[in-house]
Amino acid sequence: MDLEDDTTILTTLKSFNSFISRPEHPQRLSEHSAGSGILQSQYKRSMELLEAAERVHSKNRYLQLDQEKKQMELSHKRARFELERAASDSARDLEHEVDRNQELLGQIKKLEERAEEVNKKLTEQKEANDALQKNLEGLNKTLEERDDKLGTANQTIRSLKDEIRELRQKIQNQDSKMSAQTLENQELQEKIDLQQRKYQEVSQLCQSLQAAQSSCSDHIIKIKELERRLVFQEQDFAIVKTVKSEVARVPDLEKELKRLRDDNAYLRLNTFLKENCSLLKEEVEGLRKKLERMEKTKEELINMELEKELHAWENLGQSTGLNIRKPEDLSREVIQIQQREIALKEQNYTLNSRVRSVERSQSELRAELTQQHSKTLEEQKKREAQDALVRRLQKRVLLLTKERDGMRAILESYDSELAPTEYSPQLSKRLREAEDILLKTQSHNAEMEAQLTKAQEETGTLKLQLQTVSEPALLNSVCACIFFLRQKIEDLERERQRLEEQNNILEMRLERHNLQGDYDPVKTRVLHLKMNPTAIAKQERQQEVEALRQEVTRLRDLVRSLQSGGAVGHSQDDTHNPSFSLSLAPSKEVLDLRKQMESSELRNQRLKEVFQRKIQEFRTVCYVLTGYQIDITTENQYRLTSVYAEHMDDSLLFKKGSNGSMQLMETEFSKTLGEMVALHLHHQKSIPAFLSAVTLDLFSRQTTV
Amino acid sequence: MTSTLKGITLKGSAELVAEFFSFGINSILYQRGIYPPETFTRVTHYDLSLLLTTDPKLKSYLTNVVSQLKEWLFECTVQKLVLVITCLETNEVLERWQFDIECDKSAKESSAPREKSIKTIQHEIRSVIRQITATVTFLPLLETPCAFDLLVYTDKDLVVPDKWEESGPQTIDQPEEVRLHSFTTSIHKVNSMVAYKKTESA
Repeated sequence: MDLEDDTTILTTLKSFNSFISRPEHPQRLSEHSAGSGILQSQYKRSMELLEAAERVHSKNRYLQLDQEKKQMELSHKRARFELERAASDSARDLEHEVDRNQELLGQIKKLEERAEEVNKKLTEQKEANDALQKNLEGLNKTLEERDDKLGTANQTIRSLKDEIRELRQKIQNQDSKMSAQTLENQELQEKIDLQQRKYQEVSQLCQSLQAAQSSCSDHIIKIKELERRLVFQEQDFAIVKTVKSEVARVPDLEKELKRLRDDNAYLRLNTFLKENCSLLKEEVEGLRKKLERMEKTKEELINMELEKELHAWENLGQSTGLNIRKPEDLSREVIQIQQREIALKEQNYTLNSRVRSVERSQSELRAELTQQHSKTLEEQKKREAQDALVRRLQKRVLLLTKERDGMRAILESYDSELAPTEYSPQLSKRLREAEDILLKTQSHNAEMEAQLTKAQEETGTLKLQLQTVSEPALLNSVCACIFFLRQKIEDLERERQRLEEQNNILEMRLERHNLQGDYDPVKTRVLHLKMNPTAIAKQERQQEVEALRQEVTRLRDLVRSLQSGGAVGHSQDDTHNPSFSLSLAPSKEVLDLRKQMESSELRNQRLKEVFQRKIQEFRTVCYVLTGYQIDITTENQYRLTSVYAEHMDDSLLFKKGSNGSMQLMETEFSKTLGEMVALHLHHQKSIPAFLSAVTLDLFSRQTTV
Repeated sequence: MTSTLKGITLKGSAELVAEFFSFGINSILYQRGIYPPETFTRVTHYDLSLLLTTDPKLKSYLTNVVSQLKEWLFECTVQKLVLVITCLETNEVLERWQFDIECDKSAKESSAPREKSIKTIQHEIRSVIRQITATVTFLPLLETPCAFDLLVYTDKDLVVPDKWEESGPQTIDQPEEVRLHSFTTSIHKVNSMVAYKKTESA
């Protein structure tokens, strides 16, 4: 109801407003034209309207206020309800909260108690903490002290280690020195041995030389004797030769003797010496005559032979029928014959050559003949084959003609049969089918030909299109496309080649690495046995090295101990291991040598001392007994100072001459003793007298003074 | 054994290759003088006179390695076997004998044996061993005392057996390499090569 009232109010307000607004317009329009009367009426109307509006407004307000009041009352009621509800709720809440409060208070108390306890505990723990902290501090202090101590200890350790290192170095140096000295010792000993050996050899050589010399002298003597004997022997030999020659002659002589004796005997026996002689002479004459006759016959024979030869030659001439009288003719004939022979030989040679050429031509002709024969044979064969072919063909022709005749006959028979209108349906069908097939094939042929021609025309047109300029756009595009595609192809090809090369290189590298033993850790793994020979060998090596080091240290200790204890004596060496006897042996020799050296030195020293003492004694005794102290100033110069000398410089100088006599030299003191010098030395030529005079003089001077 | 059968099975191939390695390693040790020659005895195999060591420790080590290698060959998980010779004084690698093994994984236990005669395989093995002997002519002398080690390159996912541990590849830097002949049993192919450190030319 209120709403409806509102709407009516609103609608009335609206209509009113609209009404007001309308006349205002015309009012404004007609302001200038209308006079004051209109204005007044209008003003009244407006005033009335205004009042009505105010009334309406007030009514509205009143209505509104009523509504509002009602609403307020409603709302009040609601609020009161709600408040009551809220109050009850809040009362309940209050109670709850009071309870809670009490609970909380109780809890608070408990918590407070706990807090007190915790506080107490806290304090206790704080005290404990303090105590612990103090302990900690004390412990820290002790720790620091210990660290300091450790630090100092480390420093001492380091210093000790340095010292140890230095000591080791010193030990090494000393070891090296010792080894060097031992080496020198050994070398010296070797040299000594060498020298001794050389000395022995030399002595031996000397002895042998002497022996050789004595033997040489003996030999020389023997040689001389032998030479003498040789000379004698040569003389004897010459004598013997002559004797031999004479003796050699003896048998010949004997033989001659014998022969002569025989001849003599023979001659003596033959009393018919002369007869023999005469016989012999006659024989000789006879023989001589024979000789002459023989010579004659020989000449006759020779003549005969010559005549025979001549006759023969003449006969020759007659026999041969030539004009031969002299040998010149013969020779001419011979020459002619020889010439004929030569000509005949030439003819012979030419004939031979002709014969050979003829033979060659004959052989060639024979070869040609054989070839021709073979050719003829081949051609004969061919002809035969062709004849056979011809016959076969003829036979075939005959067969075919027969077949044809047969077929013709058949056909004629068929034709004859066909004439009375009896067409077998099969034949007709076959015919038709054959015709159809023919047609089809023909049409197929025609189509194929048409297609071929079309294709050719198309290719021709395409070519024309490519070549013609009338359609540049199509061409260009096509060309461009083609060009572009070609470039792409080339680029791709190049890339492909490059990639292929890269691929090859990488594959090569991979293969090389594979060869060298590289592997892809993603796919493969390299395994080996833990106890492999290399590891075992390395371990053994390490162990060897360590063992060697230990041995070295042990030996060094031993050497050091030996060096320190080596100079003491042999008794200590016996207590050591016999395995070190080798190392001790040289030291023993060294010790012996050292002892020898020391003893010899001692001896020398003692001798020196003894000599000195004795010399001193002797000089003092001389001084005391003779009253002069004799000093040797320089070589062969002796200076004498008397016991009773007034000054220290008073001295006499004596020089020993080359012949052994002593001569007095000029000194200050000797100048004062000129008289005594003249007396004792020049006149008496006695030095002892001079000296005794001088002592007496000085003594007298002393005692008086 | 495989000699009586007509074809080569995976197991037989593994045995052949392991046998070759055993003899090959022995001849390398003898030729290079790693162990004194009087510790080797002569045996005949592959129609050749080969040398085997009599040192018991070395023998046991080799049998361990070769038996493990046989297992791995059967499983086709081994890629290379390398014999490394190191100088004991300088711990440098002086020589490296590398045998690459290519296994045809398609041949499994159950597949049919492959046709390849034992004679041809033995002939190929013979040529490899002869080449090993001939390398003495160009390999540099090992003057210092040396020791050897056997490395096996296997697949990463393999379970490392007891007593075996991982190690480095132990390569030589700037080596001279020489490839030798290879042989194949149609299931396993073994390529051999030797790499040695170049001798410093005085």
